[in-house]
Amino acid sequence: MNTNSNIYTIIYTTIIVALVAAILAFVSQGLKSKQEANEKADTISQMMTAAGFATKADLQKMGNTAVLAKYAEEIDNAFTVGLDGKKIDDLDLDQVYSPKDLKKQNYKIKDGSDAEIPVFIFKNGVTVVPVYGAGLWGPVWGYIAFEPSSNTIKGAYFDHESETAGLGAKIKDDPAFQAEFSGERADFTTANVFDIVKGGAPRNADGTSVIDNKIDAITGATMTSNGLEAAIDTWLGAYAAYFKIAAPQGGDCCGDGACEEGDDCCENKNAEEE
Amino acid sequence: MDAKLKETILNPIFKGNPITVLVLGICSSLAVTVTMKGALVMALSVIVVCGISSLILSLLRNTIPGRVRIIVQLVVVAMMVILVDQILKSFEATYAIDKQLSVYIGLIITNCIVMGRIEAFALGNKPWPSFLDGVANGAGYGLILLIVAFFRELLGSGTLFGVDVLGWLGYTPNNLVILPPFALILLGCIVWVQRSVQKDLQEK
Repeated sequence: MNTNSNIYTIIYTTIIVALVAAILAFVSQGLKSKQEANEKADTISQMMTAAGFATKADLQKMGNTAVLAKYAEEIDNAFTVGLDGKKIDDLDLDQVYSPKDLKKQNYKIKDGSDAEIPVFIFKNGVTVVPVYGAGLWGPVWGYIAFEPSSNTIKGAYFDHESETAGLGAKIKDDPAFQAEFSGERADFTTANVFDIVKGGAPRNADGTSVIDNKIDAITGATMTSNGLEAAIDTWLGAYAAYFKIAAPQGGDCCGDGACEEGDDCCENKNAEEE
Repeated sequence: MDAKLKETILNPIFKGNPITVLVLGICSSLAVTVTMKGALVMALSVIVVCGISSLILSLLRNTIPGRVRIIVQLVVVAMMVILVDQILKSFEATYAIDKQLSVYIGLIITNCIVMGRIEAFALGNKPWPSFLDGVANGAGYGLILLIVAFFRELLGSGTLFGVDVLGWLGYTPNNLVILPPFALILLGCIVWVQRSVQKDLQEK
């Protein structure tokens, strides 16, 4: 047979491509549930890392079933809120938002339309909310945990799809970067809820970070740092109305003096005034 | 086993190693050799992709239209790479490592070793030798990957396969070793060693 005729070539390539497509579609369907289970356990372990229950590496060692069980033990309440901060609907306690779900809501937040963004509250009162945005090469996302009824950040965990290893990938791989978030405060009164600053965030005389809404950016990863900052500003901005209701004191602290004695934020302010 | 088949298997592992002699697949060998685990998964993936793609294309070799043969190769290799990626994503044990390797599993398709061996060997040989050639070239690639990863993980993190090896001695990990340039230096050293052992590789 003449394998170089046009007809043969067209028929041959058509069959090969259709066959390969069928095999891939079949395998993809067959493995979908397993992949989604892995993704869900991964998402949950990211939230629990942010909330400070364990480190990501430890959760990974525990295996999917144990992670799900621990989450079921710790989670207290999960629901969605609108951009006006009002609760829209309850979520099932085993339901989480995968990066794909976050992407959908990200468009809605930017449109200012009917976004339904999730809030996860653990039994110890820690509130976890997601953030999502564009890094340099692909999406970046993460979870930020707040102390009970407060705008003080307890911890954060970030992940990415394809940032540069050793540079932008540090948002995920560098524990020091994520640790910088702990103890800082989100400022829900402005559009710049949180800043990732080039050239160094303000420091106290003893070298510790000033408790404000600023942390250091990653050297050599300006685009990823900017992308992550935009993601945090967009999403925490969307939660601002919710936090003004859920953490009124934390939100207004130092603004109109509605804070208590011994509050970190107020101590800083007092120190400045003196 | 006849001598020719033995040569097919042994040649790519040392004398004609795809990385150190043919200088193919350098990019990924710099990227995925930070940890032994990553290097091992990458090596096994390339062995599977290379071996099975060679086998399939060798079986099809007499039917493939000459003008579109590269495209047919590409379709088959792409299918194998996607299958490997999907399977790695499906198992609990490999999900995290697949995430860590991220784009590099998908980029196996651009690894010159795979298409190079298909074009140079599988399209002109019977299925069994082609399969062995693919596997052996993948193994030659994997061997170098593991050697580089051994030094990088040991000196860069003080661990091997994530197990603490040097930490208890008070070893401070060297951050330069984690960065890609050090992989290139190590590769250079391996090429140097190989060339001083194997004199016929030296240019006159």
